[in-house]
Amino acid sequence: MRAIPKTVYFKLNGAASVEALPENILNYFPAGWRLKSLGSSKERREFYDTFEWQAFEKGIIIDKKKRTLFLADLDTGMETASLPFPGNLSFFFSDALTPCKLKEKLCSCSTIRAFMKLCSVDALMRSYRILDENEKTIAILTSESLRIIDHRVREPFTHFFALSAYRGYEDEIAHIEKSLMNNKDIDRILEFRELFKEMMHAAGHTVQDYSSKISLTLDPNAPIHESARRLLHFTFSVMRLNEAGIKKNIDSEFLHDYRVAIRRTRSILKQLKGVFDAGETAHYLNLFRDLGKRTNELRDKDVYLLQQATYCQYLTPSLQPSLKIFFDNIAASRKMLHRQFSRYLSSDAYKSFLEEWETYLNRPSHTEPEQIPYASLSTRSIAIETIKKAWKKVIRHGRLVSQETTDAELHGLRIYCKKLRYLLEFFASIFPYKTINPVIRQLKELQDNLGDFVDFTVQLRFLHEQLTLMPADKLLAASTGGLIAILFQKQEEARLKFHKTFRSFDHEQTSQLFHDLLTST
Amino acid sequence: MKTIALYSIKGGVGKTAAAVNLSYLSSLLSPPALICDLDPQGASSYYFRIAASKKYNSDKFLKGNKKIYRNIKATDFENLDMLPSDFSYRNLDIELAEEKKPQKRLKKNLEELSDDYRFIFLDCPPNLTLLSESVFAASDLILVPLIPTTLSIRTFVQLKDFFEANKLDSSKIRPFFSMVEKQKKLHRDIINEFGKTPELLTQMIPYNSEVEKMGIYRAPLNAVLPNAPASKAYRNLWDELRSYLER
Repeated sequence: MRAIPKTVYFKLNGAASVEALPENILNYFPAGWRLKSLGSSKERREFYDTFEWQAFEKGIIIDKKKRTLFLADLDTGMETASLPFPGNLSFFFSDALTPCKLKEKLCSCSTIRAFMKLCSVDALMRSYRILDENEKTIAILTSESLRIIDHRVREPFTHFFALSAYRGYEDEIAHIEKSLMNNKDIDRILEFRELFKEMMHAAGHTVQDYSSKISLTLDPNAPIHESARRLLHFTFSVMRLNEAGIKKNIDSEFLHDYRVAIRRTRSILKQLKGVFDAGETAHYLNLFRDLGKRTNELRDKDVYLLQQATYCQYLTPSLQPSLKIFFDNIAASRKMLHRQFSRYLSSDAYKSFLEEWETYLNRPSHTEPEQIPYASLSTRSIAIETIKKAWKKVIRHGRLVSQETTDAELHGLRIYCKKLRYLLEFFASIFPYKTINPVIRQLKELQDNLGDFVDFTVQLRFLHEQLTLMPADKLLAASTGGLIAILFQKQEEARLKFHKTFRSFDHEQTSQLFHDLLTST
Repeated sequence: MKTIALYSIKGGVGKTAAAVNLSYLSSLLSPPALICDLDPQGASSYYFRIAASKKYNSDKFLKGNKKIYRNIKATDFENLDMLPSDFSYRNLDIELAEEKKPQKRLKKNLEELSDDYRFIFLDCPPNLTLLSESVFAASDLILVPLIPTTLSIRTFVQLKDFFEANKLDSSKIRPFFSMVEKQKKLHRDIINEFGKTPELLTQMIPYNSEVEKMGIYRAPLNAVLPNAPASKAYRNLWDELRSYLER
């Protein structure tokens, strides 16, 4: 890669226009140097990222100019890859791009999340060459005003300068930069990252404002009732934040995160016994269970559609085309289910459910203290108690799994593992990272094994059902048969792997990790 | 990465003009490109208005790696960089002689830039020395501008003899007629006689007073006057070279 020198960004004090230049700028240049105007230009830039800001997290900016998509480095603003990108898409998937360096980089950010258009910005630019005594260009100075494309705001939201040295002239420019910074008109040097955040802010976005991971810091001494409410507020906010993405049908992760938030809500209510009123808890558990059920089929269809490429790879090339009918059917029924659920999200019934739950979360408890005996205990003590209990349950049920490792045994154990995992995640902030992280890692290995097993079981059941329902198409039947054979083999591999994985979990070392964790606070 | 040397034992045959214009054309059509000015007179550096940094010298050039990397400068043209010459290059031969494998030195230093550029052009000083041998080893193609005159043809024959005597790969040598003035009978006769040489490139560069004015414009002729006859000839020459290199 050819070395391209860094660009320096700076602002003038107070409001400035694109015509403005730092006062007496020529005084900062050595004798014989001058500025030569390159004229002005206008450029529209459209910025993209995923809902979770995965490109930003990897230090990548995605912007579209004219009919080309560019990637730029978040720290320097320098372009690192490009791809022709006609059309005006409000979102796209990295998978669907033409193979190139840009695609590789975006695929490393995410293949399942859509890259959504975040905002459109008009940049008004006036550029100057900085010429030395030989009339050689040694840098370009660009004055830029940015305006968000929005009918409500016509004024630029920022004005800044970009000083880009040509290769081999970094020292000369560093010298100018240093003396320019003593200029009273110049506010300060900016990182490109700051400019990007400012741009997003002007468009109504806050960078990295969403993650489905629990990011709360709980107070270990606070009453558990208070901490649990904070957790419930968090899961509720995750649900609400994902509703729009589900309705707009942007990508499958909106629904996935929404469902995880429902399960976490249920897990908090169910596992923290004696913290909330039993009657109210039962009522809300039912409501959330029903809500979860409304999404089950839709999520199943999403999972199959996400597996499309993998399923195709399982089959010989001659059978692969016949799977198209299979996936077309799934896509059609998904479309219907999506419409149904979106309608529900916009319904009065859902609105009143949200209102009821929000009111409950915000109102003080009316329950007599003796009916919620653990509510005032410390978060720490309940965390330790519930994690210990859940961990022991996993061990006890795991040890009961027979040599035959039946479907029911593994399915049951998977649920106990999930419960333990949720508790560890809820209370992660009150334990030292060094002690909680190895425990989660160990558990994850076991969960992955059980997750694979149960996923294959569900998929096999679905394929068997399809066999009885599908039209008399020999090739489709052959493909489905092929898939069943492969998935069965994989299910058996996961089954065989279980005892080994569990032995490694039910081991002195893991015991020690749990012991360290539960005695660490 | 391909390395193309503009080389001739004889001076004043149009090496620098060809190196400047061909490197510019390659930066437009097969970017990015680097032009290395190996001549202590620094004519191509002058054309691009570039002077080497005060700390740069022949010693650093021979050391290679970061020392070279740090001294490459951007020209005013996108995708075209330059490693400028320094007056200390007049001692390159003496310093090369002290190296362990002098003929391979340049090749090794340029290989380190192979990820950065598609084409590297070497604008060479007119002589046949140890530096020339280093250039021969480093180049994929040695372009020899020939003015259709007796002396020019004679030096070309000398070059071929040298390659033969030293068992070098003479298939790298590709001459082309330069500064051609068709109104001169001598030029026409020599072109007729020498024109059958198989390695000769078909495109000729006509004598054009605009080429001399590059010293005033201080930019490639193809950038300033793309429709000048010599500019068109350089463009055709580059097309011919590219199809030869991409064979």
